Amino acid sequence: MREVVTIQVGDFANFIGSHFWNFQDELLGLAQDPNADPVFKNHSLDSDVFYRSGETQQGSLTYTPRLLSIGLQASLGSLSSLGSLYSDSSSYDPSCVATWTGNVDTLVSRPYKKNLFLQSLYKEGSDQSTTTSDVNEIKDEDLVGSLENDVQYWTDFSKVHYHPQSLYQVKGQFTDVQEFDNYGIGKDVFSEGQCGEEMNDRLRFFVEECDHVQGIQFVLDDSGGFSSVAADFLENIADEYANTPVLLYSARSPGTFMNPLNQKRSVSRYLHDAVSFSRLSSLCKLIVPIGLPSLSRSMASSFLCIKEEKAFHCSAVYAAALHSLSIPFRMGQPGPTVDSEFATGAVDINELVRMLTGQGRQNMVAILDVAMPAPPLTGVQNQHRFLEGLHSLTPEIAANVEDLQAIELMAVLGALHSGGTLASISEVKDSIVANYEDSVRSPRFHHLSASLCPLPVPLPFPSIFGNRVGQKGELLDGTTSGSKPRGSLDVHSVPMAARLRSSNAVLPFIEKRLGHLRKFGIERGAAGSQLLRSWGFEKDEGFGHILESCTRSCLLTQGGSSGLNHKMFLFIILPHGYMRSWEMFLFIILPHGYMRS
Amino acid sequence: MSSLRVLNPNAEVLNKSAALHMTINAAKGLQDVLKSNLGPKGTIKMLVGGSGDIKLTKDGNTLLKEMQIQNPTAVMIARTAVAQDDISGDGTTSTVLFIGELMKQSERCIEEGMHPRVLVDGFDIAKRATLQFIEKFKTPVVMGDEPDKEILEMVARTTVRTKLYEALADQLTEIIVNAVSTFIVALFKFISCCALGSQMSPLIYLWWRLCTCAIKFDVDTRLVEGLVLDHGSRHPDMKRRVENCYILTCNVSLEYEKSEVNAGFFYSNAEQREAMVIAERRQVDERVKKIIELKNKLCSGTDKNFVVINQKGIDPPSLDLLAREGIVALRRAKRRNMERLVLACGGEAVNSVDDLSPDCLGWAGLVYEHVLGEEKYTFVENCKNPHSCTILIKGPNDHTIAQIKDAVRDGLRAVKNTIEDEAVIMGAGAFEVAARHHLMSEVKKTVKGRAQLGVEAFANALLVVPKTLAENSGLDTQDVIISLTAEHENGNVVGLNLQTGEPLNPEMEGIFDNYSVKRQLINSGPVIASQLLLVDEVIRAGRNMRKPT
Repeated sequence: MREVVTIQVGDFANFIGSHFWNFQDELLGLAQDPNADPVFKNHSLDSDVFYRSGETQQGSLTYTPRLLSIGLQASLGSLSSLGSLYSDSSSYDPSCVATWTGNVDTLVSRPYKKNLFLQSLYKEGSDQSTTTSDVNEIKDEDLVGSLENDVQYWTDFSKVHYHPQSLYQVKGQFTDVQEFDNYGIGKDVFSEGQCGEEMNDRLRFFVEECDHVQGIQFVLDDSGGFSSVAADFLENIADEYANTPVLLYSARSPGTFMNPLNQKRSVSRYLHDAVSFSRLSSLCKLIVPIGLPSLSRSMASSFLCIKEEKAFHCSAVYAAALHSLSIPFRMGQPGPTVDSEFATGAVDINELVRMLTGQGRQNMVAILDVAMPAPPLTGVQNQHRFLEGLHSLTPEIAANVEDLQAIELMAVLGALHSGGTLASISEVKDSIVANYEDSVRSPRFHHLSASLCPLPVPLPFPSIFGNRVGQKGELLDGTTSGSKPRGSLDVHSVPMAARLRSSNAVLPFIEKRLGHLRKFGIERGAAGSQLLRSWGFEKDEGFGHILESCTRSCLLTQGGSSGLNHKMFLFIILPHGYMRSWEMFLFIILPHGYMRS
Repeated sequence: MSSLRVLNPNAEVLNKSAALHMTINAAKGLQDVLKSNLGPKGTIKMLVGGSGDIKLTKDGNTLLKEMQIQNPTAVMIARTAVAQDDISGDGTTSTVLFIGELMKQSERCIEEGMHPRVLVDGFDIAKRATLQFIEKFKTPVVMGDEPDKEILEMVARTTVRTKLYEALADQLTEIIVNAVSTFIVALFKFISCCALGSQMSPLIYLWWRLCTCAIKFDVDTRLVEGLVLDHGSRHPDMKRRVENCYILTCNVSLEYEKSEVNAGFFYSNAEQREAMVIAERRQVDERVKKIIELKNKLCSGTDKNFVVINQKGIDPPSLDLLAREGIVALRRAKRRNMERLVLACGGEAVNSVDDLSPDCLGWAGLVYEHVLGEEKYTFVENCKNPHSCTILIKGPNDHTIAQIKDAVRDGLRAVKNTIEDEAVIMGAGAFEVAARHHLMSEVKKTVKGRAQLGVEAFANALLVVPKTLAENSGLDTQDVIISLTAEHENGNVVGLNLQTGEPLNPEMEGIFDNYSVKRQLINSGPVIASQLLLVDEVIRAGRNMRKPT
């Protein structure tokens, strides 16, 4: 078995994570539920890859996510930072202070109100007596309704028990959540006090017990100060676990794309994007930027109706994509040759990273595409259109780029025929291969992982499905009655397709950041050079306009349609004091053919 | 300013007196929150969060970090106080109280028509005079080769007693001082090595590790002359308890991992693939075999054992090999622990198994594992001349342990400060009263004009420490101050006896504070207070301007 350790940093990352773990929990629950669809029982997926088993001091066994979640103080809502499994019901009796004989002041802050959903979970946990199903059903609607209206913290809709080591809160920042919004503000958090050490210790706790860790899945809320926290953390990880690959999803919520009020803010925003991207990408093996400026109006949500202002809604889509891509990591036997009737195409994180970043070009920025729900494999009008159902969740990429060098890795979960029946693994394989052959733009290399097991929709999943989505996620013809968005009560499972793509379509994304960095940070008299300096990136004395910290080499081959103008960009930003020589600051454009040699 | 108002007509502007009022109120507010913390008679605070998390603290620093402070003035003061803790390890509460009191005294003067600028000048003079005075007032501690254990104990006790009840505090003090004096030689070496370095704070943490175990349901602490690691071996057949062990500290990967170079396997059939995997695997096995060889050379035929503690991973096949040879192996030790292990057991940490020799091995008399639910602890004890030790804290629940941990940390910092300062300051308010006496009787005369009032305000603000101590002990503040100042005027240096309210001699009672803490306090308090006093206008603008927070 090869374990994966998951790290979530920042609020939106925790929202995504909360959905992600809800899926895992639902899968575990369905596997034991006698009434569940048999497809969930025997899916040959190993849940130990993401979970750890432990034991409380009272001796009861636990099964908790192998997760380190980092957030600001007071971002946990009503969940105790010790989780709910290991601590006894916390009583604060002032008389039981064992260390002080003097006066005791008890300051109790107003307890966070548990919402209806958490209350019902709590009740379920305390009395085991099962209620009859129809009583449950009436209540379920209330629960879903209450979640729709008031989700404030990511813990509000989480049904997973966490290990006490999993939840870490950064303390003593004295800042508002709104103000924790740029790279500079978080730059000292990691080194200050015990914070970084504590984070390292907690990560080590989870790594130590792994026999053979396959990699780290790192989800980051890239919209604010957590970028620099994560960068420092990643630096430590690279140092400590040198051979453990890190797969980084750098996510942002739609809210952060709002047009800034003034020039100063927008400069800060642009520089934040550029600096955090360049720093982060230099510290992981593969970076996947996710988070569209407007998810609800994007192609990716053509069958969904998402309320963009709700992190609860948006994060669900990203979490579904992450879940799909994590399926290959936990398929039984590693190795491309092993097939079963339930799953095919197992890869581990290392192989995935190598597949996407290798093959001659070193592009370590991947694009995430998703189809939710996945279109039917076969059907009269859908013949060989499966691939066109996938739409990007990565912002600012070029559409319709033909890239002969592209590498694609696809995960298909529980694909359906147009009639709504489950397609077998071999059918999925054949169909996808046929799709690729027919497609005008075929990548140089593609890998398919497929599982019979669709995405289960847990109860606290938001109601984001459009009315064309059926109970098993099949697409219904025409509009059915009722225009209300459908949620977990109407849709029980959804077929998914998600794809990681290494392609030069990502070039605009990188070039935009590069441009901003030059325009606002490096150029003489740039508006943001002062700001950059305050973030700890020093000017070079010799040239007066060269930065700063973070080495980054982003190598890309830009293959035009003719395939002639291959360029290679080598962009290095220097850490202050590391190297001062001008030669190291290069921007080279090399002619075609140089790369191949 | 007017241009800003043009740009943002919604900005809220507080003019001079209102601005001053706002800052003073904020400072006083923060003072009120922390006031009851001070001293051995203070009140412990139990903070219960909205989700039921409990935090137990008497430490100003911890309290400030737990609070969500919104007011910008309060944030400034809080940051100063936290910085005080970072640098000197103590004095957070005093800093906040001192700044608050300075603001309070200034308020009175300003209401009487004094300009803040003049007041600030007075502060500056007073500050410099006090810093000179502290040099005269301090009690030097001769550090020699064998430092005065008694004085270290007194300093540590003074600090720890403000955090824990007396019996426990005294027990801890003993542990702390024993821990320090066991390794005092090493400590001195270290200090002379890095005397030039400005950052000394890692010093303490290098030698002592706090290990928390929630073992028993009463509070208990113990000094382990060795190391406690918070993980155990991951193999069912490994021994749980071994005696007379060689310790190999290494940073060698003993797990099969794909090479970092971008090279995959190329194979055409399953057998070939198997063969390649075996070949890769063999490299790891070789490394394990080298360790086993060394073990056999040293231990076969004797009753000695062999323990491997590795910073990198060890995978199950390697563990298997080692377990079969009777070797106990721990994987993924913390980097910090690797340094400590070498200090505790001797030997050296090796980065490759190629040149293993008996010289790089350490020695421990006893290594055993303690299991508590899913948590495992490995004790490495009975080392020869250990230069590192562990303070083991046992407590009924996490928040109690956390509180004791903070107290131990403060005690260690106090001892460390004393060793570095080679001086201590008499406690129990003696210094503050003496400094005030000095300012009022000597310094004030030398100052001309209104700045005198600034010096006076500063001198009075110093009294906040004895005043608060008295208040927290339920004594009458004014009586106490009068009797203390009277004694000082007679030339006696006295502090406050918190039991009786009578003056006492801190030297006799053994109440000493750190010199650097007090110095830092005198230094930073007036700076912040002056800056806040000179604020003319407060403009509040921005996104959440009118939003109630």
